[in-house]
Amino acid sequence: MKRRTLLLAALACLLPGQDSPPVNSWPTYNGDFSGKRFSPLTQIDSSNVGSLALAWFYRINNVGPQRGVGNPTIKSTPLMVNGVLYFTIPDHVWALDARTGEELWHYGWQDKGGHLVGNRGLGMYGDWLYFMTPDCWFLSLNAKDGKERWRKKVADEKLQYFCTMSPLVVKNHVLVGVGGDAMDVPGFLESRDPETGDVQWRWNTTPRKGEPGADTWPNPQAMEHGGGMTWMPGTYDPELNLIYWGTGNPNPVFAGQGRKGANLWTASIVALNADTGKLVWYHQPSPHDTHDWDNVETPVLFDGAFNGKPRRMLAQAARNGIFTLLDRVTGESLVTKGYIGVNWMKGIDARGQPIPDPAKEPQVDGSLVNTPGGGGTNWPPPSFDPETGLFYVNAKEGYGVTYLTDDDPEPQGYGGGGGAGLSEPILAAIDYQTGNLAWKHKYPSGGFGNAFPGILTTAGKLLFTGDPSGNLIAFDPAQGRILWHFHAGSMVSNGPSTYMLNGSQYLLAAAGDTLFAFKLVPSALIPIPNPHP
Amino acid sequence: MWTRYLAALLLVCAAFAQEDMPPAGRGAGRGGRGSTRDFLGLGPPPDAAAAARGEKLFAPNCAFCHGEKARGASAPNLVRSALVLHDERGELVGPAVAKGFPDKGMPAFPNFTPAELADIAQYLHLQVELVANRGTYKRLNVVTGSAPAGEAYFNANCKSCHSTTGDLAHIGARYEPDQLQNRFIWPAGGRGGGARQKVTVTLPDGQSIAGTIRKIDDFDISMTDSAGVYHSWPRDSVRIELEDRLAGHRRLLDKYSDADMHNLTAYLVTLK
Repeated sequence: MKRRTLLLAALACLLPGQDSPPVNSWPTYNGDFSGKRFSPLTQIDSSNVGSLALAWFYRINNVGPQRGVGNPTIKSTPLMVNGVLYFTIPDHVWALDARTGEELWHYGWQDKGGHLVGNRGLGMYGDWLYFMTPDCWFLSLNAKDGKERWRKKVADEKLQYFCTMSPLVVKNHVLVGVGGDAMDVPGFLESRDPETGDVQWRWNTTPRKGEPGADTWPNPQAMEHGGGMTWMPGTYDPELNLIYWGTGNPNPVFAGQGRKGANLWTASIVALNADTGKLVWYHQPSPHDTHDWDNVETPVLFDGAFNGKPRRMLAQAARNGIFTLLDRVTGESLVTKGYIGVNWMKGIDARGQPIPDPAKEPQVDGSLVNTPGGGGTNWPPPSFDPETGLFYVNAKEGYGVTYLTDDDPEPQGYGGGGGAGLSEPILAAIDYQTGNLAWKHKYPSGGFGNAFPGILTTAGKLLFTGDPSGNLIAFDPAQGRILWHFHAGSMVSNGPSTYMLNGSQYLLAAAGDTLFAFKLVPSALIPIPNPHP
Repeated sequence: MWTRYLAALLLVCAAFAQEDMPPAGRGAGRGGRGSTRDFLGLGPPPDAAAAARGEKLFAPNCAFCHGEKARGASAPNLVRSALVLHDERGELVGPAVAKGFPDKGMPAFPNFTPAELADIAQYLHLQVELVANRGTYKRLNVVTGSAPAGEAYFNANCKSCHSTTGDLAHIGARYEPDQLQNRFIWPAGGRGGGARQKVTVTLPDGQSIAGTIRKIDDFDISMTDSAGVYHSWPRDSVRIELEDRLAGHRRLLDKYSDADMHNLTAYLVTLK
């Protein structure tokens, strides 16, 4: 029970105010419940970051190409607990020594379907790890040796559900969500028992006949096939006992003519009671979405001033190009603003939500919007730095043309898709109080697709992320100056993380099939007198 | 400001899909029918010949209740049917059709042969494929604009770089209309493709080398010169001049209305 006690102690450390990850572990996907991905560690700082050196790397060499996606890509953020790293790709879990990168164990799963598009990582409760397979089995593994404890089926891959989420452990709840947009299935979020895997509660992302929200759909058939997937882990406020979740786009994806209305609660941010799954409030950044703009991007929680008054807030930079700031107690809208072009909207409604322009929905002959194909950003984790007050997101500016390919009054599946477009990759630093960009860095190379580097900020006055051409980069978070880089060979493919171990601060990032760990060279830790005081 | 030339270097992302899955294609190459099917885990592809036979059985016997494309009418949608989606070769669909669901109002069809039942199953699997597999999607008609208005737009905005009797001669015969529209909106192609950019690099000693960029980022530039020799330098050690051949296209992106885009397409397709 020792390890379990330690983990619970570690989790308890981050509960009050849930300000930032505990320094000697990284126990959840985001490092803490807030989703800020801001670490208080300062051993690596803006003055010595130039002395960062590779400590070790671990390359996946025993998997080979994965069905439909090619070479393995690490999209998970590893957990680090008691000196052991736990990370995943679809169908696979590894444990490594966090100090040396030595493999401790490997677990492999043989899927019977589902999409191998990515896996975000693991949840942990005591000695138990939780893992979602592409074919939506929910597994519990023993953290000591990777042996399977039990498996539970969450959704049917034959209906085109697939699962990529890192389960999120909140109290004695393991929260699991689903993906799946090819066959018009409905989305849901489940709370499962950490010991048995049984369902504690289930929240449907679309209403059933007669339920609240049903008036935002034309008929029961549309809402029961209306999508709204829950494929990214949410965040949690322990004092309010609310979980915050982003929901995916409605279905059919690009063809909205059979689902007229706002299509609640798809493409929304929702606040649910952690113990019951009951909806407390919602905000919908993409009413009646027709551009595949899943609104699952991390709802980041932080406290601070807004218009001179203290607020408990939630911020999100969404695929549709909108930065949203809400009061997370009530859901009140504080800021709704495009961080890139958003000519698909006509204005903002009384709830602070965008009003989509029907003329900019996908058309048979093509419709051009100045939000690029795939959206302005995607799942890769953003970061909020409380010291700069800036919200950071890797994003794309540009244009996209979308087409309606199923003009049936009752379309099915995607019903359309994207054509030509321009994608100009940027790192955007957003002032949360206004939604304005404090600064942005235009990456000179290539473009971002739908998977690209996440972001970590630290109290060492550093921002770590990557560019499209395979560099891991440290920026000055206040001004956007580049301070350090390392050419990893492939684009950074997960959210960088950091932890303290044996007196050294480690920086960890994945690029393709390889995990890289960095720490300062020993001489960098000896203060050097300034020759020009 | 070299950033003026950024647009020329940036690659296109034409991938529209939930999270980060391969793009929906036009039926070939990456994101095409076969690779998308594999990605989706849809199982064995439908047998086209069997599906064609099955369609002839489905139309007179099933379509009246289940709809012309099996999307449902008075009886359920079969494209979204769990039974159909769990079936691979008729092992579930066949008995369901033969025995019916009398309690739900579906009669039995005992006279179909096993081969005919298998053909009906393949027809349903084809309908599933046409919905679920976006690698099969086809764009409908993109030629909806006014060709004369498109010609006027061309003369006002495109003529300084392009000629309908020179580089664009017979362009309407070389591309399908939707491909043509996509090429003029942003010609740099798909992800990882893109127009090769010309660059002139001036070294600290004043020597200039002209060539084609291989890679440029915040730290390094590499290029191949006219003799095919590879060079690479730290960005801050050389002066870089890029030739932005797409600057005109980039400017127009900020100006196009959807009508401009459709009119221009309608004009360009006439250049047979």
